[in-house]
Amino acid sequence: MSDLEIDRLSKRYGKLQVLTDCNLMAEGGSVVTLLGPSGCGKTTLLRSIAGFVEPDAGRVMVGGRDISMLPPNRREVAYVFQNYALFPHLTVAQNVAYGLTVRRRPRAEIARRVDEALGLVALSDFGGRYPKQMSGGQQQRVAIARALVLEPKVLLLDEPFNALDAQLRLTMQVELRKLIDRIGITSIFVTHDQAEAMILSDKVAVMHGGQIEQLAPPLQIYDRPSTSFVADFIGRANIMPVQVRAGRTDTPQPVPTPRPDGPAVMIVRPENFEVVPGNVAGWPGRIGFATALGATIEYEVDCGMPEALRVSMARAPGSGPLAQGTDVTLRLRSTDGAIVLGRGAAHV
Amino acid sequence: MTQSLFDRIGKAVLIGLACLSILLLVGPSLIVIAISFEPRGYIAFPPSGFSMHWYGEVFQNRQLMDAFLTSLRVAGLVMLVCLALGIPAAFAAIRGRFGGKSALNAFLLSPQMMPGMVIGIATLFFGAYFAWRQSDLMLVVSLSVFCLPFVVRIVMARLAALDPGLDEASANLGAGRAQTFFRITLPQLAPSAIAAAAFTFIEAFDNVTVALFTSDVRARPLPVELYYLVQFESTPMIAAISALQIGFSLIVLVILARTIGLDRIGR
Repeated sequence: MSDLEIDRLSKRYGKLQVLTDCNLMAEGGSVVTLLGPSGCGKTTLLRSIAGFVEPDAGRVMVGGRDISMLPPNRREVAYVFQNYALFPHLTVAQNVAYGLTVRRRPRAEIARRVDEALGLVALSDFGGRYPKQMSGGQQQRVAIARALVLEPKVLLLDEPFNALDAQLRLTMQVELRKLIDRIGITSIFVTHDQAEAMILSDKVAVMHGGQIEQLAPPLQIYDRPSTSFVADFIGRANIMPVQVRAGRTDTPQPVPTPRPDGPAVMIVRPENFEVVPGNVAGWPGRIGFATALGATIEYEVDCGMPEALRVSMARAPGSGPLAQGTDVTLRLRSTDGAIVLGRGAAHV
Repeated sequence: MTQSLFDRIGKAVLIGLACLSILLLVGPSLIVIAISFEPRGYIAFPPSGFSMHWYGEVFQNRQLMDAFLTSLRVAGLVMLVCLALGIPAAFAAIRGRFGGKSALNAFLLSPQMMPGMVIGIATLFFGAYFAWRQSDLMLVVSLSVFCLPFVVRIVMARLAALDPGLDEASANLGAGRAQTFFRITLPQLAPSAIAAAAFTFIEAFDNVTVALFTSDVRARPLPVELYYLVQFESTPMIAAISALQIGFSLIVLVILARTIGLDRIGR
């Protein structure tokens, strides 16, 4: 199992800086997701690993070996395309065999390995079909088999679930993660869907404006976002400007922080707020909007700030939301759960 | 109500126009075929009887047979030249990245805007400047210029529809450029290349306007030979040759339809 390491990779197209000093480390056999909005550079980064994009600076290392100078056909990294890019004039078996055929492997070996690969994705009986005769989910499995049959060192997947409907997507995500664990291959996914990143990854790299803003395990990204962009992109977040004085915020419930005195931002997840009646220490406000979602109740509370604060509370059986216009107080469930960041990290 | 009346009138006009076009397109060919069976020595419609006499005359006419072979040879060469130049040109026009690409595209397709006669005369004058006489070679060159846009255009249309991601996929799976071209690109291009070849062949085979000016006087291609023949002969042999040519074109079309399907031609 080979590590994949990306070292200070940069790329510009004319005046547009697409990637800036991207660093990434994926340990052998682990799954890393490149997550970000469209245009953040995640696909360009993936394409540079495959060699489809030539970076201006930086290196790509697989198993400690620098592959930056190799042409795409000699990199031994497999790429699964967003639209699968199956060869329409070849059968499923011929598609899967393609990489072995161009390497001129003996015919018996090709047949055996194609059988194995198709078995791996549960398509053993479909070898004779053409891609056009397969469903979207089946086509995706063919693309994965075609990539894996070569026993590559790294598997790259560009939004592989985009073309599938919601039901199938979840099944395929779980199946793919199991398959990757079984064969133990270092994998890099590109996605703009945070739930997908949570399901699939050991580590998530959140990208924004051509940079990797944070690289960490999914829960750490959620609990300890390093910028307000990350906080807002992964899950929902209330972002409030605050002042730090003597190691605490100047908020109704002071939050301890190692930050120096001065302006800062505080990030509170909606589930870390609770709505309590009456006048206690906290943010006084008025219920602006309430939705009961079954398991939770979602409030928008107007606390005299430019944007209403969002609160998500577990719903007790039989209970309903408070009426619109009720005067309430917002309290932090845990002051440790609130995140205080410098103003510099506060771009959204 | 008025709407449906309007519709009905529109439909009637449309059907009328369709019938008229079919009549004008197919009618003359049918009449020529009918005339070719005339037993007597002059052109008459409807024919007075049924005879294969004039077909026999055609096959015994040494001059016509030579002209037919010349046309066959020339059309074959034009087809090869156009494929050899047109397919790479289409690649450059679609996949290439270089300055002046749109100018090159316009230039490649421009012969289509020019009457064949102009191309014929221009080639003739150009040749005269270098003391180059009308010959099979000049005929092949002038017809290639005339036919090249067909190939470029048909292949371009197909190439534009191909997913460039397939090339990347092929490279990612370990194939070199040549392997990708021969295993992935070419097979998908084949139907359009065959269609382009067939159209070029037919066009080069029965072109008169260009060939009139650039063909060798001693070895005329069939259409030019016929053009002169019509001026002195007025036997149904002319009709017999025409009927044979119609049949020849039909055979090419049927082969095309059988191998790649008519609906896929040009895609």
